[in-house]
Amino acid sequence: MIDRTKVPLPSENISFEIPKINYFTSSKGHEIFYTRKEKLPIVSFSIVLFSGSKFDNENQNGLALLTSFMIDEGAGKYDAFQLSNEFEKLGTIFSITVNHDTFSFSILSLKENFERSLELLSIILDEPHFEEKDFQREKKKLLDKIKQLKDEPSYIASTAFDKQIFQDCYYSYPSIGYEQTVNNITLDDVKDFYVKYIKNSKKKFIAAGCLSENEISNLIDKYFTSNKILIPEVKLKLPEKSVTKYFIVHKENSAQGEIRIGHLDGLRKSPDYFANKLMNSILGGEFFSRINLNLRERKGFTYGAHSSFNYYQNAGYFEISTAVNIENVGESISEILFELNNIKQSITKEEINLAKSFLIKHFPSNFESYTQLAQSIALLLIHNLPLNYYNEYIHNIESVTEEEIINAAKKNIHLDELTILVVGDKNKILPQLKTMTNELIELDIYGNLIEKLSL
Amino acid sequence: MNEELLKINYEKHKLANGLEVILYQDKSLPIVAVNIWYRVGSANESQGKTGFAHLFEHMMFQGSKNIPKGEHFRLIQEAGGSLNGSTSFDRTNYYETLPSNYLELALWLESDRMGFLLPALTEEKLNNQKDVVMNERRQRYENQPYGLAWEILLSNLFSSNHPYSWPTIGWMEDIKNFQLDDVINFFKTYYNPNNATLVIGGNFDFDNAIKLVEKYFGEIPSSNSIPSVNAPDEKLDDSKKVIHEDNVQLPRIYFAWHSDKIFGYYDASLDILSDILTSAKNSRLTKSLVYDKQIAQDVSSFQYSGKYAGMFLIISTAKPQISLDEIKKEIFEQIDLLIKNGISDEELIRSKNSIKSHYIYSLQKLDVIVDHINHYNFYLNEPDSFMYDLNRYEKVTKEDVINATKKFLQNPYVELHIIPKKELIK
Repeated sequence: MIDRTKVPLPSENISFEIPKINYFTSSKGHEIFYTRKEKLPIVSFSIVLFSGSKFDNENQNGLALLTSFMIDEGAGKYDAFQLSNEFEKLGTIFSITVNHDTFSFSILSLKENFERSLELLSIILDEPHFEEKDFQREKKKLLDKIKQLKDEPSYIASTAFDKQIFQDCYYSYPSIGYEQTVNNITLDDVKDFYVKYIKNSKKKFIAAGCLSENEISNLIDKYFTSNKILIPEVKLKLPEKSVTKYFIVHKENSAQGEIRIGHLDGLRKSPDYFANKLMNSILGGEFFSRINLNLRERKGFTYGAHSSFNYYQNAGYFEISTAVNIENVGESISEILFELNNIKQSITKEEINLAKSFLIKHFPSNFESYTQLAQSIALLLIHNLPLNYYNEYIHNIESVTEEEIINAAKKNIHLDELTILVVGDKNKILPQLKTMTNELIELDIYGNLIEKLSL
Repeated sequence: MNEELLKINYEKHKLANGLEVILYQDKSLPIVAVNIWYRVGSANESQGKTGFAHLFEHMMFQGSKNIPKGEHFRLIQEAGGSLNGSTSFDRTNYYETLPSNYLELALWLESDRMGFLLPALTEEKLNNQKDVVMNERRQRYENQPYGLAWEILLSNLFSSNHPYSWPTIGWMEDIKNFQLDDVINFFKTYYNPNNATLVIGGNFDFDNAIKLVEKYFGEIPSSNSIPSVNAPDEKLDDSKKVIHEDNVQLPRIYFAWHSDKIFGYYDASLDILSDILTSAKNSRLTKSLVYDKQIAQDVSSFQYSGKYAGMFLIISTAKPQISLDEIKKEIFEQIDLLIKNGISDEELIRSKNSIKSHYIYSLQKLDVIVDHINHYNFYLNEPDSFMYDLNRYEKVTKEDVINATKKFLQNPYVELHIIPKKELIK
């Protein structure tokens, strides 16, 4: 019999080298961020433009996304079907993603098919057709998607929460837009968006794969013309800080309540970033965190509960999200508020050691796949972080002091600025909130005020 | 190139207690992945007592004799690892990926819950996880638009005593009624070394790894016999139509046919068929329903195959004001066309190329590779079947695809309509 009562210790020390990210400018002046990985004959490649939904015209929310739907509906000598055919023949995964800050084109391809994939991408970027019949179809598709989302409780909760947190600034609108704003978009608007923010704008290139610096540089120069026009910065008018309020979005007979609780926070570049990251691991970032252990493992109210500090390019916010049994909404909110208050009172050394150990030892696994590598580079670009950021990461986590973590909770969690929002059946939820607040604000599914309810 | 790339060098051992151990070395990164498949899934349950295999996916993280509640997760995450489990009809898997110097920790944890779960299993833990599972069911199925479609299809396609006729998470009533005794018996019956395969992949030393496995798993006793699953082949005598009202805006139509089992002769042909029907803009149903006629918001199809049965599904969401019957008519016209006129070389090559590339992409992550190894070992009794699997697709001919379509998609089927609740239609 062996002694099973003792936790086995790790064997020898291991070392892991965080991949080195290189930056260089090609002879045509393209900015390229690149890391070499040899293991498999794969290349993960992206073009990032800082022209996301925040550039949607007023009353035309959804414009950037609709442009992304349109841009690969035929280009150069190919119609939409032929283009999709060409990619599928290569086995290349081609995708376009749009969020508030960025508009990106990505390719995952075998090395042998990379050049052809890149050529296709360049045709899409340079010579999109933008035909009226495609536009009508894609616009209708987007409108019907918006309609479908009316029944997704977690989408509604996040959208209404964003609207309340960010009020009227551009981060308050969903990238997908609203029925009315998408209806306002014409094909000319799409073409204008393309010309203004994509075609001639400066692009950043990201590549992770088994290619040499020369190979990648020559290929990019071969297929892409150099553009120097910088995308203008749009001024962000951040809303005033809010005071704690309770909101509800009614969904009849819902089996659960979707809960969001949070408030505005600082930018990604904040000196508190690492302290917040550690504090949040203790509070709600991981399975072992306090909020999940409480709501799931002690109370059984939910399948999971999570908190995070989230960062756009020009704003940040703190958010807790969970979906709980409809009968336990009130109690779940109380428990979350208890945890928010409690972490401001005490954090143990043990918890800090656990959070540090997790973040440090787990870090290398973020660089396993080609796609992860390319995404890690993209993150640096979005937040304008230094190239050696990942190489310094572990040191930065290690050096956060106990005091800094405790202060992060005291300073960056604001109990008097909370937006507390639930999506669910109000007839069941209202009675549960009576002891917690006198006023509940009812919102529509987009987060707009319907009425104030007295409890 | 592919030949070499997809060749998996491994060692396979069997301990005296019947535990299968497969070691796959890859020293490119200092990580190690541990992946156990228990040969028990929801197919081992019975009507009225569904959801047990999935419940264990929860109970196995609740601590065991030497590991207090909560410690399993904590210890692995403290070591920088990630972990999870999943349940299907045929099997349950438990896995973790860790820095390579923590291999022993993973083996200690896995062996303690394989050999010593019951001393730590309490009514309180069961009640807590019952609540969690009920909330999982609410969150993932009941409170999701179209969320109940899968279980409605299963329970109509299969007769009620067929083990694929209920969802892996189980029926809500059954989850509510889980009894501690039943849970204990289910564990005693299925969670034994002779009913499991342990795969270790990554950066380790062969001799040391097998020594550690022997140390932690060697003393766990094997069980006498594992009951076999009774799952006779089934067919529908007549097509069935089911209408279900849900909180949705757009109606959706589903078709489900009985099809080939996993690794059966037509299994790969049916995967290729699904590509030809719906994988890209130019696929037949996508082109016709979404692009040319614009009567559907989306369309998808797939072959879902297990050890005891397979099914082929086509799913499409109607555009507003379009009737599901119109969509149905077009789907069947396209199937008829395919049978009558066949498919093109290009359609076949496109699908094969795409499948081939995705195979290579799947080799990027160690946890995916070790799970594949277990998958092949379970269904084919040969862990190194990456090339074999890919060749199945390479060998598919145009005729195979047409024959598969004829053989399965011309049979009776289950047709499910999920439509908006009446009061919402107005």
